[in-house]
Amino acid sequence: MNDFLWSSGHLGWGFFALAVFTGLWWLLSDLCWRLQSIRIGRLMVALITGWAIGVALVLLGFLIGNR
Amino acid sequence: MTILILQIVILCVVAVAIVLWALYFPYPSPLIRRWLPPRKRWPESQIRTWLEQGGFQRAFLRHFYSDPERIAPPGNSLLAPADGLVTSAEVHGEVRYLVIALSFWDMHVQRSPVSGRVLSVESHGDGFMDGEGREFAFLREKSCPVQKRLVIATDAGQVAVRLITSLAARRIETWVREGEQIERGQRIGRILLGSTVVLELPPAVKLLVRTGDRVWAGETAVAEGVTSP
Repeated sequence: MNDFLWSSGHLGWGFFALAVFTGLWWLLSDLCWRLQSIRIGRLMVALITGWAIGVALVLLGFLIGNR
Repeated sequence: MTILILQIVILCVVAVAIVLWALYFPYPSPLIRRWLPPRKRWPESQIRTWLEQGGFQRAFLRHFYSDPERIAPPGNSLLAPADGLVTSAEVHGEVRYLVIALSFWDMHVQRSPVSGRVLSVESHGDGFMDGEGREFAFLREKSCPVQKRLVIATDAGQVAVRLITSLAARRIETWVREGEQIERGQRIGRILLGSTVVLELPPAVKLLVRTGDRVWAGETAVAEGVTSP
């Protein structure tokens, strides 16, 4: 867990990837919302599902990388 | 240490993007504006706010004042005098009125539908109004929006272009004078901000567009049968 937050004098790659992905995902969702005529409920479901998949991939990558 | 600095820089960039998003919400952040089409880039509610406050975003003004070159199609057909949506093509009395509604995002320079001589540039109207029937208020002998009517004489009759203001559009510029010979597709004036242009035609002309069609000034043929071959 310590490696996740902080590792060898810099932020842990897991935490860093999660923070950057969350920020970019939020901005990308806003762009999609403006470009597509999509209902807000459907957009929220897509946003949360996509974010959860992204987080799962980041965590998986972190776990594989730290084996 | 280098990695830490790099990480902090990247996180700061993302943070700035999110702060900008929050500051501008519900309108688009300047970072994504360039990728949006004009209607999404400057939503109507934002433009109406600017109208109330009297200040506009420079990028919007640049878009609004754009005056692209247009290439008139060959032939003698009448061209659309304005960019916009055809909202009516009714005949009242002896005139067919082809109404083109301009939006905030349309190019606002009007072009001559035909070659001919400008017979007159008349000013009408006494108010600024929006709402249904505004474009035909001049037919009902009531107060009507401020407007300019350019009558153009062609070899085969007269046509007129009526530039009508709205609540948002309060100024019309005309760039031709009485007696001037003008070419088909030539720039004739500009209405500042969204409004309406009405093309007055003889009722016998053959219309090439229908209500709901989108037309482009100086490029879209809207009718046939006025100019002699």
